[in-house]
Amino acid sequence: MTARRRAMLGEADVWALLERAGKRGPLMAPVKRGRNSFAFEWVEDPGAVALRYVRTVLPPKRAMFPEREAFLRFRRPPGAGAEAVVSEEPYVLFGVHPCDLAAINQLDWAMGRRHEVVDPNYVARRGAATIVGMECLPDEYCFCPSVGTCDTREGADLFLTPVGSGYLAEVLTGKGRELLDGRVSGREASSEEVGEAEAWSETKRRMTSCQVDAEMGELADLLDSRYESQVWEETALRCYSCGTCTIVCPTCFCYDVEDRLDLTLMSGTREREYDSCQYPDFALVAGPHNFREERSDRVRHRWFRKFVRLLREYGKPFCVGCGRCTQSCTAGIGLTSVLNAVIAEARESAA
Amino acid sequence: MNNPYLPKLATIQKVKVETYDTTTFTLRLDDSGERKAFEYRPGQFVELSVFGAGEAPFCISSSAHGRDDFDLSVRKVGRVTGVLHEMGEGGQVGIRGPLGNCFPFEEVKGKHILFVGGGIGLFPLRPQIQDVYRERAQFASVTVLYGARTPEDLVYQDELEQWQQQEGMTCLLTVDTAADGWSGNVGVVGSLLPKVSIDVSNAVAFVCGPPIMIRFVVQDLSGMGFGDDAIITTLERHMRCGIGKCNHCMIGDKWVCKDGPVFSYREMRAMAEFEE
Repeated sequence: MTARRRAMLGEADVWALLERAGKRGPLMAPVKRGRNSFAFEWVEDPGAVALRYVRTVLPPKRAMFPEREAFLRFRRPPGAGAEAVVSEEPYVLFGVHPCDLAAINQLDWAMGRRHEVVDPNYVARRGAATIVGMECLPDEYCFCPSVGTCDTREGADLFLTPVGSGYLAEVLTGKGRELLDGRVSGREASSEEVGEAEAWSETKRRMTSCQVDAEMGELADLLDSRYESQVWEETALRCYSCGTCTIVCPTCFCYDVEDRLDLTLMSGTREREYDSCQYPDFALVAGPHNFREERSDRVRHRWFRKFVRLLREYGKPFCVGCGRCTQSCTAGIGLTSVLNAVIAEARESAA
Repeated sequence: MNNPYLPKLATIQKVKVETYDTTTFTLRLDDSGERKAFEYRPGQFVELSVFGAGEAPFCISSSAHGRDDFDLSVRKVGRVTGVLHEMGEGGQVGIRGPLGNCFPFEEVKGKHILFVGGGIGLFPLRPQIQDVYRERAQFASVTVLYGARTPEDLVYQDELEQWQQQEGMTCLLTVDTAADGWSGNVGVVGSLLPKVSIDVSNAVAFVCGPPIMIRFVVQDLSGMGFGDDAIITTLERHMRCGIGKCNHCMIGDKWVCKDGPVFSYREMRAMAEFEE
């Protein structure tokens, strides 16, 4: 069967699709871990995949940018040598919500075409992915309408929207068509079904309670005008510099590098792992000099990076409104609360 | 695909102890093709791999002129430098680079050239000093001011002596704290500036040293009339990846590894996170 651009799948078809995807190669998908806790994991059993969830603790970026990854194998002298380790094994990443798709697009830019040099490990894993997006409904932490990510399709090869007892599947790329082809018996979606899927966007907006009190186009200037705001100090008084916000962020991509020796001590791997600009030693150099020693400097850096510097460079904020950092913060610091406090100050001082 | 994280192999040709905690390692890339392709300018840096200990950024501290090897002067301060200091001639390391931008050269011809170095801040200035002196006739004057904490901390002592005697070059030294046998100037490196009489309207200063020294020297130079474009420095951050990805070296919206490490004082002042 040739897949239609918009096909209606029954839930059984989606399970069949997962089953086939799992047989073909590695499959990463959301799995239920606790009462209201989900994780993107490499699944052995496609039956364990959660079709409905609000958000995962760790974002799906770990498929193409794992929290820890060896990128070099080396031998110590004598006879020193080094070879690059790059994974190109095809896999399916299933169940990615629109905000997380937007985040993957941002990482594609940051790790890929942004500078003259691309990150070979990210680009290889990204190229090996077939991504199935999934429509979702917000909770009290979500603010995707404010940052303009709630209707994202770009980045997905196939996108599923729950309609009635089934799913409307949008085939977005050749990879998506290939994943669907001959596996599941979809039928052409009716105009009512297409209409129902399209209504999700409006429903999401209506259900979202959290928001940023500014247009994205004015955000960078507003924050820039409050570089010396007391809000950074006040937030720093509560922050533990634990780095949870950056670890759970789908758009953060800072990493640290270290060598790991095998037990022989003659060879080993060079590995990178997520780092956080919130850690006290992130900007520490020999001397010792710490260029962001004050916690308030690091707090401000995070908001400025997402909503001033990268926003100006990329054209959109490096925040997709997923709500993970606010939900996970050990000190109860809200990303939009801090942002809105600074925005209010900026408007007041301009008035 | 050319993997930017993959180091080229190099072998230590020579080890020269500079001070009790600094050493100059002369390195040569093993592969002749890679040696030919390895073209660098003063101010640029490399990522040095000591396999098993890790990787760290170091400025290249020798002029590329007439050599197929290069020097890295290194202070023993952490894990990578600690293991490196245990290595001798014939030791194998990895090199990525050259990375980053370089000091202006053609652009500053005809000008009075002032170098101000503090401690190991002389490491990145050395190739520029060597290149400028090699084409001495192209420059109005060449002055090197160099200070360290104690006489024991002065690096490149043979070369300093040579620079002090060399025709067409002024080289003044100072130490923060004198020791027996020191008959030279005592005081911070900025205290040498009043001894410099050059036309600052046609001069450029290259400054490198610890952050506190850079801050005060830049203030002094501004006071003397050096414009913000005529003060050039090279900044230190933890350049991990060297290609603008890992973000360790960011200052405001700049990456030291790809936008720098060489910046003019004007560029530095425009950086949101730069502290004057």
